Amino acid sequence: MNLSIPGIIIVAAVALLGIGFYGLLAVRNLIKVIVALQILVKGMMLGFVLAGRLAGNVTLGQSLAIIVIVVDTIVAVVGLALAVQIRQRIGSLDIKTLTSLQR
Amino acid sequence: MTPTLILSIIALPWAGAILVWWTGDARPRLQNALAILFSLSAGIAALLLIPSARSETALTLPVGGVFGDFTFVADGLGVFLAAIATVIGSLAVIFSVDYMHGEAQLGRYFALVLFFIGAMAGLVLTTNLLLMFVFWEITALCSYALISFNSDDPKAVYGGIKALVMTQLGGIGLLAGALLIYSALGSYDLNLFIEKAETLPTSVLTVAAFGFLIAAAAKSAQFPFQTWLPDAMEAPTPISALIHAATMVNAGVYLLARFYPAFESVPGWKTAVVAIGVITALLAGVMALVSNDLKRVLAYSTVSQLGYMVYAIGAGGIFASQFHLLSHSVFKALLFLAAGAVIHSIGTRDMRQMGDLGKHMPLTRAVFVVGALALAGVPILNGFWSKELILEAGLAHGPIWAYAIMVFSAGLTALYTFRCVWMVFYGPAQSKHHGHDAGTAMKVALIPLAIGAVTTWLLAGPFSHLLESSLPFHDIEASTTLLFILEVITAPATLLALAVVALGLVAWWQRKRLSGLAHALQVIGKAAADSFGFEAINRAIVNAVQGGAESLRATHTGLLNWNIFGILAGLIVVLVVLAAGG
Repeated sequence: MNLSIPGIIIVAAVALLGIGFYGLLAVRNLIKVIVALQILVKGMMLGFVLAGRLAGNVTLGQSLAIIVIVVDTIVAVVGLALAVQIRQRIGSLDIKTLTSLQR
Repeated sequence: MTPTLILSIIALPWAGAILVWWTGDARPRLQNALAILFSLSAGIAALLLIPSARSETALTLPVGGVFGDFTFVADGLGVFLAAIATVIGSLAVIFSVDYMHGEAQLGRYFALVLFFIGAMAGLVLTTNLLLMFVFWEITALCSYALISFNSDDPKAVYGGIKALVMTQLGGIGLLAGALLIYSALGSYDLNLFIEKAETLPTSVLTVAAFGFLIAAAAKSAQFPFQTWLPDAMEAPTPISALIHAATMVNAGVYLLARFYPAFESVPGWKTAVVAIGVITALLAGVMALVSNDLKRVLAYSTVSQLGYMVYAIGAGGIFASQFHLLSHSVFKALLFLAAGAVIHSIGTRDMRQMGDLGKHMPLTRAVFVVGALALAGVPILNGFWSKELILEAGLAHGPIWAYAIMVFSAGLTALYTFRCVWMVFYGPAQSKHHGHDAGTAMKVALIPLAIGAVTTWLLAGPFSHLLESSLPFHDIEASTTLLFILEVITAPATLLALAVVALGLVAWWQRKRLSGLAHALQVIGKAAADSFGFEAINRAIVNAVQGGAESLRATHTGLLNWNIFGILAGLIVVLVVLAAGG
């Protein structure tokens, strides 16, 4: 294998994105959904940093990544808090039983 | 100064909407006070704007890109309609304090009313076609939400959905026309469009002209979309007054009046406008004659009077149509609010259960009679002058068959108006209702409107100057009030129309002797009670839309996995398009 460092990072980012998307598509437990979302966003973050490096504007990529970290943390905190509340009130974390839009 | 006023006319009601909603339903007195304060201050701002009416762009909010800049112009047409929307709207808000007293969810009610008023003001003041469309749709949305305000009443919900679907249908016409104009002209500025209309390709102009006509007909409940307005009567009565007089149906007439100079030369357009107005005025007049629901009679009369305005535009009488719009707004708001006082007091809308109510509610009867006489076109009330001006314009520039039908409709108007007044206030009492007279807030709203119904025709001269000086593309002859009066009094058409109105009165007076004739016309009456079959067509459209939505419901699973799949599929489509295009 003869991969450059950007190549490795691209593969890693795409792999993280793929795992995240697969998780969102396949998983039905709310906690696992949040975990999958986290993995997805980590892939995005890697992409930002790499894009900044490739565009010759490292600081921009890094600052974007930091913003994503902040937003991502908030998503995780609020999401997990909601999940706890839902578990206490409804008694289930299965998103199929939680949906109320269906007839 | 002008930009501040324009912004405050739109933003004050919207800010009020948010504040009232925030106040919460636990404090209804504060909600009432806030709603009145914000709507009244918007009304004052609109009145202050009238002296500074100009045709130049007064305010530009730079947006750029494909949206164009959001421009606002305070010209005569826009300022006048904004003043009607905010002033009549604030009177409806004041009236609501008594009418909605003790109702649940006042916050939702007042917030939507204020949002409605602000959107209507924005609709008439902007000159950006796209922004106009946005305001247009906001008014449709607010009307839907307010018509079905009693959301546990299936009839109210159906009425609201019907109004929404029918006006959306028109909205498609407006959007299509606006986008087509943009593609041909490269700008959304409607004054630029009116100026350069002659240079555009005929096909573009024709599609835009008829698209706008459909939009206006749907909004103003004109033929063949006229059935949503009577069904909207399930709304609380101040909302009916708002929709009929201030905010909703005026938009269609405004659209036609605004774009008349651009579409004037499109072959067949003027004839189509005249035909729609004439058919609507006649059909709605007949339907008002056979209806037994007090609010429905008023709703049909609105449809009929809007037919007059549309007819006047088709005949080139822009001033006459806008002047009638002013008169109609005043007396129809008065009629609806007075009817609201009656309904609030005795708890029914069925005129067959009313009768002899005048004894218990003398003030309501007095103001209702003033409004009814104005609607019937009896001198010297405002409805008389504006209707005569319309008929005169129609005789001078329109086809003679249309004029004949409109004069006949004037008699019909008188007939159903007298029938309505007699059944409610004078006829024998049909049941033991003991109504009480209007409350204080109701009186505060009713009395200015009654004074307006007697006096607004004195504004004819200044109003014509306002329109003439600030509308460069419209052909409006300014004159003084005295000359208008002389013109109306000396025209032989006036005597004819007055004779027909008197004939309508006599027909009601002598109704016992005419019962043989009424018997012969029973077939028409029956057809009119069924809205001449248009109810079925409109219902079919609504049902088709609802059925389509219901069958699309399967795609809304509410499952996260499917939504993610949709997002991914969309992402892939965008990437493919980018890769192929780049």
